[in-house]
Amino acid sequence: MLNRRGFLGAAAMTPLLVACSSNTPQSAQKVGTNSKAGLKAALPAHVPSTAVKPDIAPIAGSGGAVTDPGFLSYPANPVATVTGVPGKGGSYTAITPLWGTVPPANNSFYQAMNKALGATLTMKPADGNNYNTIVTPMAAAKKLPDWIQLPSWWNAAFGTDRLVGSQLADLTPYLAGDKVKKYPNLAAIPTGAWQAGVWGDKLYGIPGSAYNFSVAGAIFYRRDILEAKGITADQVKSVADYMSLGKELTDAKRGVWAFGDVYTYLAFSWDLPPNWKVEGGKLLHKYELPQLLEALEWHYQLAKSGYVHPDALAGQNANSNARFYSGKELIQGGGTGGWNLSDYQSGVAADKNYRRGAFNYISHDGQSPARMFLGEAARIVSYLNIKLKPEQIEECLAIANYLAAPYGSAEYQLINFGVEGVHYTVKDGVPAATEDGKKFVQAATFPFLAGPAGVISNLGADQVTKDQAAWQAANVNALYKPAFWSMNISMPQQIALLNTSQAIDDAIVSCVRGKKTVAEVKSVIDSWKKSGLDRLKGWMTENVLNKYGTGQ
Amino acid sequence: MKERLLRDRSLLIMVVPAVVLLLIFNYVPMVGVITAFQYYDPLIGIWDSDWAGLDQFQQLFADSRFWHALSNTLYLSFVQLILFFPIPIALAMLLNSVLSERVRNFIQSVVYLPHFFSWVLVITIFQQMLGGAGALNQFLRSHNLGTWDVMTNPDTFALLVTFQGVWKEAGWGIIVFLAALAAINPGLYEAAAADGAGPWRRMWHITLPGLRGVIVLMLVLRLGGALSVGFEQFLIQREAVGHDAAEVLDTYAFYYGIATTNYSFGAAAGLFKSVISLLLIWGANKLAHSFGEDGLYRK
Repeated sequence: MLNRRGFLGAAAMTPLLVACSSNTPQSAQKVGTNSKAGLKAALPAHVPSTAVKPDIAPIAGSGGAVTDPGFLSYPANPVATVTGVPGKGGSYTAITPLWGTVPPANNSFYQAMNKALGATLTMKPADGNNYNTIVTPMAAAKKLPDWIQLPSWWNAAFGTDRLVGSQLADLTPYLAGDKVKKYPNLAAIPTGAWQAGVWGDKLYGIPGSAYNFSVAGAIFYRRDILEAKGITADQVKSVADYMSLGKELTDAKRGVWAFGDVYTYLAFSWDLPPNWKVEGGKLLHKYELPQLLEALEWHYQLAKSGYVHPDALAGQNANSNARFYSGKELIQGGGTGGWNLSDYQSGVAADKNYRRGAFNYISHDGQSPARMFLGEAARIVSYLNIKLKPEQIEECLAIANYLAAPYGSAEYQLINFGVEGVHYTVKDGVPAATEDGKKFVQAATFPFLAGPAGVISNLGADQVTKDQAAWQAANVNALYKPAFWSMNISMPQQIALLNTSQAIDDAIVSCVRGKKTVAEVKSVIDSWKKSGLDRLKGWMTENVLNKYGTGQ
Repeated sequence: MKERLLRDRSLLIMVVPAVVLLLIFNYVPMVGVITAFQYYDPLIGIWDSDWAGLDQFQQLFADSRFWHALSNTLYLSFVQLILFFPIPIALAMLLNSVLSERVRNFIQSVVYLPHFFSWVLVITIFQQMLGGAGALNQFLRSHNLGTWDVMTNPDTFALLVTFQGVWKEAGWGIIVFLAALAAINPGLYEAAAADGAGPWRRMWHITLPGLRGVIVLMLVLRLGGALSVGFEQFLIQREAVGHDAAEVLDTYAFYYGIATTNYSFGAAAGLFKSVISLLLIWGANKLAHSFGEDGLYRK
């Protein structure tokens, strides 16, 4: 299964905006974003897959959001969606980020994959936590591999907008419109996910995992412990309810605190956008919204209340899962990717009753409707090197088509579980990874190059799948597309530097840890406003809003 | 000249690999300081990046956060100089006075050990012991004695990091002093004892003068590194005490340069730090020479 742990969380705080120097000699990228017509012409046609029927069907909600399909079992006789081998014997090197231990080169899983692909794909996974610093030197030396994955939340750090066309290949001639139908599994990837790979009206990127219910994260709680006290998720309707939970659940003498870190995800209850909001045709940056200060005031009070675990207040985030599993911290924010089989296994190992639950999205006052913005449909996007010959690009796309085989297919089974008897064994219809399987297969590498539409599936922990599907269904109507949703915006560097502010981010962290008052944060924001907010807004209005609209 | 080269040839050959390493990894990269005078863009390279002149430095000097980081760095450095620097010397003298070799080796191993721990581990240990939910505070809490919040208190942060530094590095720091102590002629102590000098007199008149050269050398190096108080230790604890207390020049260059891809700005901050460090080490060395000490090299 794909491990989305960690990076969805990082994405919550990351703007879609990308730095671009206006004096680049060899870059084909123009400043601004995709035009409506250009985007439409570049996007591949969508032909949904009908390979398998989910146990829990998707439900459509607001803002074009749909819940992800849930699967409680894997088909006993999976169908093959690719005939023959896709490769033609070519050799390619691929670099992907990996959050985990790097598997040994040329291991039995890589060998099995290469045999099935009919090509030699040399996988070189690199440390995900430092991935943003690994790619830039390779790009600066013009030594990118044949195939590389560039997570979209780091587009600004990579300079993706300038790598496309100068170092990364244009895939429009191969995939735009009906041309994608040559690769049926790629054609089944939702259109929204492809949008993440379109730059300057041309298609460059291939989406990895495409989720319909793409959100930054949620507030999680120990469902087993809270329900034993008679507390259910639907009782929490406002931030005041959260505060009373803090009082009820905290027992510092026993080493139990109600809250861990919640700011990143609970702040959305004040209807904060990812970056911009458009009101009456005018742009408002998230930093200048009054509700940001309200949210900060509440979190400042929370930090002072004594209901937050002291280690969380000390920024010890690496141990937050351990605190959650051991019941020392009962409510915490996190990316939805962390709600999965391995979380269940770790939790149950610490406490046999362990059950993770997520609170519904709320509005802070409990009166206005709850709203949560939709994230990009794909944050994992891979690119091919511009040096590849057309026939090599076609071979790689055929391989991508294999890798994008849907859940329930024979190919998906090989890519995600490995070879039966070597990497997994089947017990009661549930594949269980062997030691080799854990080491070689579960470290996600191939799915990061291309992948099908995402599903909820935690084989062996049906409760997790059911809980997550139920939570998505309960919240799908709170979702909306924020301004500039999934628009790849390319900015001149001086403008991009204005768009984020380390000083404000620092002040916010200090405030929610109870170190700085809201008034102090406000003065940092005020000086940022003076330093160039007007220039930033002017640029965005002229180059994006007036030309291309909000993309909503 | 030729004779000297011929005479020392084996020594010179032995030094070649070190010089090559130094050239490749310390001198060649210095070309990169050019980026501090540019709007450097890694994708188009040093040669094609736009020239900025002193613009990066102007921005740097106009940034109050930079001056705040500088004053934090100097303050922390000063506190460490006063509270940290004498400890390895005292420890070395104490250890030297232990007669049993077994006891000495044991103590030595125990105090060396923390040097090999990473900062992440050291701070986790501190958090587990002294943190808000750590052993000490849980004990105080269970006895209704209130809590002692030292890990997240910005006011006492300088003392905390110095204490952490002492715990981690003081044992390692004694090596050079122990070597200097071993070089003192034991005959001097015997003669002094025979003349009726007690332990304090022997320390004052034999041990400390014997260590003086090394102490001055370490002090000169320490002053040269006054602006390098550490990086990870502050990076990890930045959230705990807030950036106001924990921002030092290195974390400033990281957050405002590298993390925001404003590389030239980070390079300017780094270059400024290097120039000041060079001046400090030059000044300290000069001072040492004027006191008749060797300093970094014999005059």
